[in-house]
Amino acid sequence: MKASLLRWAAWAPGIESPAAWEAWAKAPAPLPASGSPEAKFLPAMLRRRCTPLTRTMLTAAFGCAEPDEIARLRTVFASRHGSINESIGLLENVVRREKLSPATFSHTVHNAQAGLFSIAAGNRAASSSLSAQEDSWTAAWLEALCFLERDPREPVLVVIGDVPLADTFAPLVAEAGVPYAFAVQVAAAGRGPTLELELAERDSPSVGRTGTLPVLRPPSWPPALEFLRWWLSADESLEQANRASRARWSKV
Amino acid sequence: MSRPPCRLAALGQVSALGHERAGVFARLVAGDCSRLTLNEELVPERSLWLGEVHDPLPAIPAPLARFACRNNQLALAALESIGPEVDAAIARFGRGRVGVVVGTSTSGVGDAEAAIAHREKTGVLAHEFHYDQLEFGGLARFVAEVSGARGPAYTLSTACSSGARALAAARSLVALGVCDAVVSGAADSLCGLTTNGFAALGALSARVTNPWSANRDGLTLGEASALFLVTAEPGGIQLLGVGDSSEAHHMSAPDPDGRGAETAMRDALADAGLAPEQIAYLNLHGTGTPQNDSMEAAAVARVLGGEIPCSSTKPLVGHTLGAAGAIEAAFCWLVLAERRGGELALPPHVWDGARDPALAPIRLAAKGERARAGAETFVMTNSFGFGGNNCTLILGTSDSR
Repeated sequence: MKASLLRWAAWAPGIESPAAWEAWAKAPAPLPASGSPEAKFLPAMLRRRCTPLTRTMLTAAFGCAEPDEIARLRTVFASRHGSINESIGLLENVVRREKLSPATFSHTVHNAQAGLFSIAAGNRAASSSLSAQEDSWTAAWLEALCFLERDPREPVLVVIGDVPLADTFAPLVAEAGVPYAFAVQVAAAGRGPTLELELAERDSPSVGRTGTLPVLRPPSWPPALEFLRWWLSADESLEQANRASRARWSKV
Repeated sequence: MSRPPCRLAALGQVSALGHERAGVFARLVAGDCSRLTLNEELVPERSLWLGEVHDPLPAIPAPLARFACRNNQLALAALESIGPEVDAAIARFGRGRVGVVVGTSTSGVGDAEAAIAHREKTGVLAHEFHYDQLEFGGLARFVAEVSGARGPAYTLSTACSSGARALAAARSLVALGVCDAVVSGAADSLCGLTTNGFAALGALSARVTNPWSANRDGLTLGEASALFLVTAEPGGIQLLGVGDSSEAHHMSAPDPDGRGAETAMRDALADAGLAPEQIAYLNLHGTGTPQNDSMEAAAVARVLGGEIPCSSTKPLVGHTLGAAGAIEAAFCWLVLAERRGGELALPPHVWDGARDPALAPIRLAAKGERARAGAETFVMTNSFGFGGNNCTLILGTSDSR
């Protein structure tokens, strides 16, 4: 499956500009464990309703589209944990038989970031929100390809992000995560720098045409940012071991 | 048609109407609301009508105990009905060529409530609780693990349009050639979070939901799962059209003009290459809230006019949230699959008959109503969700497509 990557934007605490990400990609290091952007581009009324995750993902999203594109592009939002941190308080309300905050409840749907983006950007285009555990970045790319399959004329804005899982559930996962968001515009192959994604079963000996099984040590940053590191490097290909699949990315 | 074929080749489903096909279809077209039950437990100081699944649910296999939650049991109940077809697809195409795209809005949050209740008493989460039960991606992983499918697996969660959106993605994955077959649909389970959340929003009906009525006062919640085997083959029942939109309006209320709903329906018709008058039946989103029915009536009247029979099946099974788009596509699939003698038996619109004069006029299907079924017969289903996420699907029988 080939597609073009037209532009990207990313945010992590202290790594906010394209130049800062270029520098990080040359000497990648684990990311800071906490912090969130102010997202001052959002109207104050709307910003007050935004959780740290929403501010983080919308910062990347708005950084990855021109003003004339932001209201038009179809969107794919991906997050492993989504709004689960905000759900914890609601779950405690439920077990204590307390009343829930209706606003908090309606902002903890998994597509809360997509919904608030749609409102902030005035965007009425198709939008999807997904989660696929450690495989969420690959799934987000596939979902963008699905939108392009239906209509290849316009690019798709893909936004992935997470914030650290709160203490209630953090001990249950191998990595509680770092705050980050990454956005790309994906277009039909040939519209810009083009890359190919090939998938194989996790336990298969090879992916694509290489026929070799490199040792895949997961980096200590999210798969989406490992993808960015590779995209900014001179390397022709990247293999990523997901929980259930192996992804091979190649520059075409 | 320029679109490649997309066959909804097999269906497994479970809802308040049951799980066995003949019985579900009979209750569906009879407009049987008797399966809803009154619940006094979930919301403090309130009794609620709910579309709870009463069928015994299969146990989660021991090696997959970390996925053991009611939501996954509902998914497993649907999956077991299409087990032979899924096994055959894996044998034919290879397990890496069979994907999973499913929708949910709850995942196993009901089991997380139990784990947190345990922590309130003991200071620690229940030991049988695993994060795989709670995180949205866990549903797709569970369906993949238990079915043996090893292609791409992900969960879509766009509130009440999740199930419809999953089928849309499955259609594209087989069209792209990423997969030869996809297990796709949704599962959503009743829990304290959604019942108390909708109660806090003032969105729950005091009685059984009464969509389109002047007396409507909110929705009735339910739970369900429906899973299809989606393939690139022609024939059978096809997923012919998808239309979707965002609202840019409000997190928990639709645009009163119904513009987003209208876009979804128009785009689905264009995608399928159909004219509005070719639609034989519309399964409404029809939640029974004042806002939904008002805007949906306006949108349906503008797109389909006032002659095409429509019904909401939510008085029969409740609003099953993330599963609604899948179980209502399943009801449309059953209507098409059970066509007899050139006729479709339609699910009737069950309500008190007190038409709201403020709603744009559309035609609500009466009990016993039938529609003519030709060589090509098309039905439409609407799903609209929180966050302003809309998705309309068109299913059809067509030997020529």
